[in-house]
Amino acid sequence: MSVPSRTIDFLTDHRRRRARRHLTALGLLLALVVVVFGITLSVGKSIVSPLDVLRVLSGEPVPGTSFTVGQLRLPRAVLSILSGLCFGLGGVAFQIMLRNPLASPDIIGITSGAGAAAVFAIVVLQMSGPVVSLLAVGAGLGVALLVYGLSFRNGVGGTRLILVGIGVSAMLQSVIAYILSTAPSWSLQEAMRWLTGSVNGAQLQQALPLLLALVVFGGILLSRTRDLEALRLGDDTASALGVRVSQTRMLVIISAVGMIAAATAVTGPIAFVAFLAGPIAARIVRSTGSLLLPAALVGAILVLVGDYVGQVLLPSRYPVGVITGALGAPYLIFLIVRVNRTGGSL
Amino acid sequence: MTDHSLVATGLSAGYDGKEILKGLDLTIPTGRITVIVGANACGKSTFLRTLSRLLVPTKGHVLLDGRSIHRTPARQLARTLGLLPQAPIAPEGITVADLVSRGRHPHKSLFSRWTRKDDEAVDGALTATRTFDLAERPVDELSGGQRQRVWIAMALAQETEILLLDEPTTFLDINHQIEVLDLLTDLNRERGTTVVMVLHDLNLAARYADVLVAMAGGRVHAFGTPEEVLTEGMVHDVFGLESRIVEDPLSGRPMMLPIGRHRMAGIGR
Repeated sequence: MSVPSRTIDFLTDHRRRRARRHLTALGLLLALVVVVFGITLSVGKSIVSPLDVLRVLSGEPVPGTSFTVGQLRLPRAVLSILSGLCFGLGGVAFQIMLRNPLASPDIIGITSGAGAAAVFAIVVLQMSGPVVSLLAVGAGLGVALLVYGLSFRNGVGGTRLILVGIGVSAMLQSVIAYILSTAPSWSLQEAMRWLTGSVNGAQLQQALPLLLALVVFGGILLSRTRDLEALRLGDDTASALGVRVSQTRMLVIISAVGMIAAATAVTGPIAFVAFLAGPIAARIVRSTGSLLLPAALVGAILVLVGDYVGQVLLPSRYPVGVITGALGAPYLIFLIVRVNRTGGSL
Repeated sequence: MTDHSLVATGLSAGYDGKEILKGLDLTIPTGRITVIVGANACGKSTFLRTLSRLLVPTKGHVLLDGRSIHRTPARQLARTLGLLPQAPIAPEGITVADLVSRGRHPHKSLFSRWTRKDDEAVDGALTATRTFDLAERPVDELSGGQRQRVWIAMALAQETEILLLDEPTTFLDINHQIEVLDLLTDLNRERGTTVVMVLHDLNLAARYADVLVAMAGGRVHAFGTPEEVLTEGMVHDVFGLESRIVEDPLSGRPMMLPIGRHRMAGIGR
């Protein structure tokens, strides 16, 4: 190994190398999303040639495959990607802001809050459509503020917030289970959506609220990338660097909750995607740059692959949440053991 | 370099409605090293936090060049006033060069690109703290002393004319404590940076301070040169400790020797 030369060019080089590595990782993740997207469209219980897939996508009617690809597979894949982006981005924003991988919205009750509101609206109030999404977003925000408020003492302590959140989450889960159990003639299929999340019965128009949430809330989060990166150094250091900590925190909470809740209202709480995306992204991009975009892409890949495994690769069909749940639970245990030992951060 | 003035007037602040600072008045001497000492819970950390806007005062003001820091835009303030908190957090795997370049944050806006000037600031900070050779190393692999130098480098990259440090030598071995204090003195002498820090060790405080501030009960108890402030009376009043003050043969500064109940053969008890 050569001794690094003590010049400013060395620094410039170091920075550029890191930026390049970051872009490469992002490019690879994006490519993976596209490839998996293509596979889910063409290879299912029946195989459609990529050429026919492209023809269907461009709007050309292809006898025998237009329905399978256009009506069944495409909405599934699109919803998987969009909800995965929402879960991944919203989740990692929370994890970065609170500097703890356990502080993900699906662990601290925000997802359950949005889910409970959606189930209540659909089953009890017989609502459907965008109103459900709005209610879910409202409830998600309410739960976020509740958890935040309950854990507030001289500023928000990370561990306290997580413990309070886990309690609130358990309570809301039982609310969901209760509503589902009292619902008359409720199909198991639909119940599964609200218990673990699924993209069964996906329709393309459901993508609209997700797209909207991504553009608005995702835009806000991405515009705060630098402040979020500074927050990783601790609230005090970030503040000393000129970050308005409480304002940034409010914006991040609102945006992340908005995205998570919008996605939950459509697909249900797809288990552990928000929780897993950040740490996986962190392993991939190392510390070459912000985790926001990589985690969003990892979220999309998790949901796409999870749904594909559940639908195609296993002997019987499972909703995507069962697959991601099976993946996430061991990691949760691992994290709790490790955090317990080191008090580590993301 | 323009001379910034930092003044606290009638400053009261605290947590949970409990007042810790009680009407503190202090003018920070520009271009000097000011060291704040005092017993635990006397409010020295609270003072530093209020001085750097981490805490909003309940009464009184912190004025930077005559303007309340709580009315100054955060980013603008962060270009003049830097703070190294007691327990900053290094994200896992972050390299030294990356961490130090975070110090440029207040100089960047949403769309501004990284410039040559930013690289120069980081270069200068790494060189001044002698951490350039560590640039590519992950921060979590460094020793305590190296890590503290890296954090100081980050604060230097911020290029503020006033730098506040909350117990920068805690948890460091004595050799690294001296290294850090020497470094801060270099900084003050070479760049004219106004340094304000809280230190635990009275003798190191007296050795490195241009101006020593002793705090007690949320107020300034004594203010002046180390010779004026570090007296047997002050140590008694502020720390409740009997002591003898002698001259440090190396620096000529006052040095405090505590009087305990044992092994005091030298004073003939």
